[in-house]
Amino acid sequence: MSRRILEGKGVAKSFGGLMALRQIDFVLEEGEIVGLIGPNGAGKTTLFNVVSGVYPPDRGELFFDGRLISSLKPYQICRLGIGRTFQIVRPFLKMTCLENILISLIGRGERGKTLEEKKKEAREFLEFVGLRNRENSLAKDLTLIEKKRLEVARALATKPKLLLLDEVLAGLNPSEILQALELIHVIRTQMKITIFWIEHVMGAIMKASDRIIVLDQGEKIKEGKPEEIVSDPRVIEAYLGESNA
Amino acid sequence: MMKTWISLPLIFLLIFLPFFLSQYWLHVMIISLFYVMMASSWNLIAGYTGQISFAHAAFAGVGAYVSGMLAVNIGIPPWLGIFVGTFVASLLGVGLGYLCIRMGGIYLSLTTLGFSEILRIIITNEDRWTRGTMGLQIPGFFTEYSKMSYYFLFLIVSAVFLFILYRLIHSEMGLSFRAVLNDELAAASSGIDTIRVRILAFTISSAMAGMAGGLYGHYLMLITPDIPSLGQMFLVLAMAVIGGMGSFIGPILGAFVLEVLSEYIRIYGEYHVLLFGLVALGVARFAPEGMVGVIKKRWKVKESP
Ligand SMILES: Nc1ncnc2c1ncn2[C@@H]1O[C@H](COP(=O)(O)OP(=O)(O)OP(=O)(O)O)[C@@H](O)[C@H]1O
Ligand SMILES: [Mg+2]
Repeated sequence: MSRRILEGKGVAKSFGGLMALRQIDFVLEEGEIVGLIGPNGAGKTTLFNVVSGVYPPDRGELFFDGRLISSLKPYQICRLGIGRTFQIVRPFLKMTCLENILISLIGRGERGKTLEEKKKEAREFLEFVGLRNRENSLAKDLTLIEKKRLEVARALATKPKLLLLDEVLAGLNPSEILQALELIHVIRTQMKITIFWIEHVMGAIMKASDRIIVLDQGEKIKEGKPEEIVSDPRVIEAYLGESNA
Repeated sequence: MMKTWISLPLIFLLIFLPFFLSQYWLHVMIISLFYVMMASSWNLIAGYTGQISFAHAAFAGVGAYVSGMLAVNIGIPPWLGIFVGTFVASLLGVGLGYLCIRMGGIYLSLTTLGFSEILRIIITNEDRWTRGTMGLQIPGFFTEYSKMSYYFLFLIVSAVFLFILYRLIHSEMGLSFRAVLNDELAAASSGIDTIRVRILAFTISSAMAGMAGGLYGHYLMLITPDIPSLGQMFLVLAMAVIGGMGSFIGPILGAFVLEVLSEYIRIYGEYHVLLFGLVALGVARFAPEGMVGVIKKRWKVKESP
C-alpha cells in the first residue's frame, strides 16, 4: 500500500447561499492519476481552489504529505509541492515565456542558484512542452493552445509532487489531445508526479486515469475505477440531467 | 550598444553642463534631479507592482522634517540626519505597507491619501516644533554655500538611486514585481509571497523618497508643509505618468521635461500642477506608455520603413 499524498476530510465551501462543496472526503495515493469529473458547476474547480489555498475551506481539513494545509496561503502550498493550472489560463501576459517559467523557479525560494542557471533550467521546461522557440515571445502573443502549454510548464517548474490540472485538454483537437496525453504520461512515469485532473473529454480521462471521482452539485456521488464509473446509474443521471437542462 | 551610445555623451553632458549654466538654471537642474529621484522611486511601486500610492511626497516630508528638526533641535549634522530621516521613512513605509497592501487597489490609494493629508496637517499645526506654514529654517550641507556642490551631490545620489533601481528591476525581485503586477493570483500559485514582495517594493520606495526629501530640505534650507503636500504628490505622479510608467527611462525624462516646463509656465500662476494633472489623465487614457512609449513607436517606424 502506498502513501497518502493528499487527503480531504469533510471539506465544505459555500459562496453566499450556494454550497459549492458539501463535506467532501477523498484520498489520493502517491503516484496515482485521479480524474475529477462532474457536470458544469459541480464544484470541481472550487475543490482545486480550496486545495491550492485560493480560499480556505469553510469546514473540514486538508492534508498534504501528512501535513495540515487548510490554513496555508497559496504560495506556501505551492512551495510544499502542489502545482496547479487554471481552467481559464492565467499566464503573465506582459512577460516573455521564459520569464513566466522563471517566476515558478524563483517561487521555489531555493538559495544558491544564479539567475543564469535558472534561465537554463527554465528553457528545459519550455523544451518539454514544445515552446522552446517561443522563449522570447510575450505570453499575450501566444495562441490558446500555446498558453495552455505554458500554463502546464509553469506548474511543472514549481517542482510539484502533486499536479492539479484543470481542463487542460479543452479546446484541443484530437491529435493535440493525443500529444497532451503523452505529456501527461511522461509527467507521471518519468517525473514521478501524482496527478489530479479535471476533464470534460470523457474518452481521454477514462482511458488515462487510475481512478475517477465524480462530483455533482457539490457532493461526491461516486468514486472508483473508470469502468465502474461509466456504468453507474447515478453518474449517468447526473450527466443526463445536465443535457436535459 | 544603443545604450552606451546614448548614455556616454549624456554623462559627459551632466558633468560639464553645470559649468555653463547660470545660477538660476543650476537651481532648475538641482530641482529636476530631486524629481528624478522622486518619480523613479514612485515608479517602482506604481509602475512595477501596480500600487498607486499617494504617500510618496509625504515620505519626502518625513525625510525633510526628521532631518531638519534633528539639526535644529539637537544639532545633528545633516549628513547624519538624512540617514535617520530615510530610516524613519522606511519604518513608516513598512507600517503603512503592512496596513494597506493586503487591501490593495483603491483602498491602498485612499489610505495613503489619508496618511499624506494627516501628516501635512500635523506638520502645519504643530508649529511649536515645525513652525507650521511659516517654514522651518534648517542648515545646509556645506559650510560654504555653492549651488555647484549641491548639483553634484544631487547628481551622485540620483545616479546611485537609478543604479539600485536598475539592478532591482533586472533582478529576480524585479521579475517578481512584474509577476505580481500581471496577475497576483497566478504569482501566488507559482510560489511567490506576493504580500512580502509588495511590502518590500513599498519600503524601498518610501526610503528613497525619505532620502530625496532630506536632500531637498537641506538644499532649500527652509522646509514647509508644501513638501509633503498633495500638490507635490500630483506633480511627481504626472512626471512618472507623462514620462512613461513602468519603464526605467520614463520618469527620468518626465521629471526633467516637466520641471523645466513648469519654470516657464509658473509666471502665469501656480496652475501648472493642475495642467500637468490633466495632461497626465490624457496620457494615461490615450498613451499609457507615456513619452517613452511614443518615442519607441516612432523609432520603430523609422527603422523599418
Ligand atoms: N468565486 C466564486 N464566487 C461565487 N460563486 C462561485 C465562485 N466560484 C465558483 N462559484 C460557483 O460555485 C459553483 C461551482 O463552481 P465550479 O467552478 O467549482 O464548478 P466546476 O465544476 O468547475 O464547473 P465547470 O465544469 O463549468 O468548470 C458554481 O455554481 C459557481 O457559479
Ligand atoms: Mg471548473
